[in-house]
Amino acid sequence: MSFLEPIMLAALPLASLPFIIHLINQRRYQTVRWGAMMFLLEANRMYRGYARLRQILIMVMRILAIAALIFAISRPLAGGWLGVAAGGKADATIVILDRSPSMRDAPAGRERGKLDTAVARLIPTLETLGSTRYVLIDSDTRSPRPFEKPADLARMPEVGPSSASADLPALLQAAYDYVTTNQLGRTELWILSDLRENDWNSDSGRWRALREAFAQRGQAVRFHLLAYTEGDPENLRLRVQSVRRRKAGDGSELLVSIKVERDRATEGKRAVPVQFEIEGARSQATLELEGTASELKDHAIPLEKGRDRGWGRVAIPADSNPADNEYYFTFEKAPTRRTVVVSDDPVGTRPLALAASISPDPGVVLESEVIPPAQLASVDWSTLSLLVWSAPVPEGETARLIEAFLGRGGTAIFLPPAGGEGGAFLGVKYGPWSDRPGEIAVESWRGDEDLLAASQSGRSLPVGELVVKRYRTLTGEFTPLASLKGGAALLARPATAAGAAYFLATTPTPSDSTLGSGGVVLYVLVQRAIEQGARAQGGARQLVAGVGAVDSSEWNRIAGGNDALSTDFRNQAGVYGAGDLLYAVNRSLPEDSTRLIADSRLSELFQGLDFSRVDEQAGRLGSLIEEIWRMFLVSMIGAMTAEAVLCLPNRARPARGAAA
Amino acid sequence: MFTESRQRSFLDTAVLSRLSGFPLYARRPMQGTVSGRHPSPHRGSSIEFAEYRKYVPGDDPRRIDWRAYGRSDRHFVKEFEADTNLRLCLVVDTSGSMDYGSKGTTKLEYARKIAAALGYLAIQQGDAVGLACMARGIVRDIPPRRNPSHLMNVFDVLEGIVPSGPSQIPDVLHELAETLSQRALVVIVSDLFIEPELLSSGFQHLRFRKHDVAVFHLLDPQELAFDFRRPMRFLDMEGGPALFADPSEIAERYHASLERYLSGLKQVLLESAVDYHKVAIDEDYEQVLVRFLIGRTRTRGVR
Repeated sequence: MSFLEPIMLAALPLASLPFIIHLINQRRYQTVRWGAMMFLLEANRMYRGYARLRQILIMVMRILAIAALIFAISRPLAGGWLGVAAGGKADATIVILDRSPSMRDAPAGRERGKLDTAVARLIPTLETLGSTRYVLIDSDTRSPRPFEKPADLARMPEVGPSSASADLPALLQAAYDYVTTNQLGRTELWILSDLRENDWNSDSGRWRALREAFAQRGQAVRFHLLAYTEGDPENLRLRVQSVRRRKAGDGSELLVSIKVERDRATEGKRAVPVQFEIEGARSQATLELEGTASELKDHAIPLEKGRDRGWGRVAIPADSNPADNEYYFTFEKAPTRRTVVVSDDPVGTRPLALAASISPDPGVVLESEVIPPAQLASVDWSTLSLLVWSAPVPEGETARLIEAFLGRGGTAIFLPPAGGEGGAFLGVKYGPWSDRPGEIAVESWRGDEDLLAASQSGRSLPVGELVVKRYRTLTGEFTPLASLKGGAALLARPATAAGAAYFLATTPTPSDSTLGSGGVVLYVLVQRAIEQGARAQGGARQLVAGVGAVDSSEWNRIAGGNDALSTDFRNQAGVYGAGDLLYAVNRSLPEDSTRLIADSRLSELFQGLDFSRVDEQAGRLGSLIEEIWRMFLVSMIGAMTAEAVLCLPNRARPARGAAA
Repeated sequence: MFTESRQRSFLDTAVLSRLSGFPLYARRPMQGTVSGRHPSPHRGSSIEFAEYRKYVPGDDPRRIDWRAYGRSDRHFVKEFEADTNLRLCLVVDTSGSMDYGSKGTTKLEYARKIAAALGYLAIQQGDAVGLACMARGIVRDIPPRRNPSHLMNVFDVLEGIVPSGPSQIPDVLHELAETLSQRALVVIVSDLFIEPELLSSGFQHLRFRKHDVAVFHLLDPQELAFDFRRPMRFLDMEGGPALFADPSEIAERYHASLERYLSGLKQVLLESAVDYHKVAIDEDYEQVLVRFLIGRTRTRGVR
């Protein structure tokens, strides 16, 4: 139990007053010479059993009455939040809200989702606890937003559902910055989340820095986690794998591949009706769901004549989480995907140029050209999908041009320059060429995602068959996608705000590696890079909610998006138009992972901090804590009444009658 | 009557003069040594006719009733009741508990007044008065005598009593029953702080010996009310262990115990034909004695 006015508990020793008075009375005795001892002795013998019990009960009732009064004025709280409010009113209360799609889940048929429930539960709790100031940091904006009183929280647009994943370390960092910037005193930090690993990124190195930073503030910041970990294993998650437009007879059709997943398989097949909507025209198909996941490959939807571009929506029937029952996409007649290879050595980079010019799909036209660095100014960046850079590391104006290209969503692959150290680009720097003779095999690579991911059928690329003869060491901050024996990175990807940049440690020339002669790996790598870069090209684009610095204030809602503000469109699943562009925004792929952060790991994240956690369920309303001083007052009255009843004499004193 | 002008605290001449108007009677025939105002179990020479009896040789021929001879032609002797004096045996409890008094006077002082007044009345009407002081046993014993100067001895002993020790009333009662050779009026003045069942045999013994027993049961008002307010340490006046108690906690049970004791005592004394008088010592002893004397007048003993 915790108290809003714990200082009043200091008066608790007063509860012993009846006992002390009893002892004082016992001390203040008088001595008298007495003749009628036989009655006294007999009375004393009789003063046992119930009579003594009654006296003890009277004493206990008096003590209870005082204790209950003191407890009542200490404003006790009911709830599992040990020490939630010890010390009285907080200087600031910061609410960190996980608005990720998984927070819309309402398992077990509950009416309200986790997000609604968490906010509804928190408001009366904050009203009870009180605070000098209130601040909301939501997972979309990640910026502190003060609000006047807890009730305002329900009306803020920042507490609505979002399609963007949360980044808890970033949210806590924002909270820490706010605390330090405003020099806050005692701060109560409430985290409302469903503990998805995807949102918490528990392996991130930022946690350690955060923990140490908060630990330096001692007990001034107290963390309260409201965890909604309950999930519905029957919940279906819909995702569009691919959308292709192809010619069919006189017209064209869309080939849509979708995937429906769930966590727990049921016996037999389950028919899941899938609704397709193309520019408002609806059609339906049935997916036979077997096991935990099933796919519907290349479901053909004929397009009306002349429809070169448009948008679509796929939906499955409502279940516990409405956020993963829809998926939006855009399509258009595929534009020519251009690749520019910047190199002084056209021969050496020929395999790359070839790989970038052979289309895997008849409906997609690929173009590639090799230019020397000097002709870079002539490149039409707006139609470029992939830039292959096999020249000295870009610097100055060139570097800015490439960064702008990446910022627009383009993809770039950097090959090691033939000579010279060069500077760092995007935080990655080439070291000297390796002097180890012999052939070096690829030790490991990321087969689960990115350029070297396994095929859709699950077959991994033959990256292990590659042999590297020469390579340049890569240094800097990056994610290695493939590593050579000995630990050197073969393919690395540094973090970029938008677009994607890849650094290869070797070249496809036969003297350096079998990358060019092996063929498949290089081709897949280049095609995937083009595909990735092409997403930012053309007028129909697929975006992941909350990812990338996209300004959505000028967007118009076409489908989905609910009632979100236009500035928030980039975080809401839907289809939006902006001039000639069409944007389809959907939740990220990791958001479909239902893996939760382990309890032990969570404890480690907050180790050394004042942290309390309570597990909640969606749909459970009412305050987390309640003031229960009334109960104590009633207890006090009860104790006083019981004391009065116990003090009542059993009957009139008979000896007075005898004396008369 | 008093040959010396010594003032005794337990004697009030005004009270004595008022009480002297009331005769002290025994409830049953007494066996005195001289003629008195109390009925005797024997025939005597009083003016109260008793019966006719046949003349037998040896009877004084002067006692033959000639009128009866004239009517029946037989010799009858006319007999009359005998009047005799009584032997008043005052038994005063001198145990430690008799020294208690919450209203300015102790139970012992009260007992002195009652004993002295009764002794005075007895001597005044020609009866013999004796005194026994009892505590652990009979600590002082003055045999009954009818000499007025003997009363001074009784008063002296009463004056010199120092209360101490426990009371062994049952033993004293048995001893008195054995030592009093003739029928007597035994007046016991005591607080009788002993279990009533233990007293029963003593009183029955006195009754068997045909003694007329009267009891003045003295109780202090505080002993009856027990209205102490604060925790008290009670020191036993008869030498027992001290007891610490909060009166508010045990008063109820004290009264229950007292009530049980009083009803038990009353029952025992009733069964033993004892003239019982419960006296709170804040009462006027003159009134107590008046009630006692008048009551005995009504129940004056038959032969």
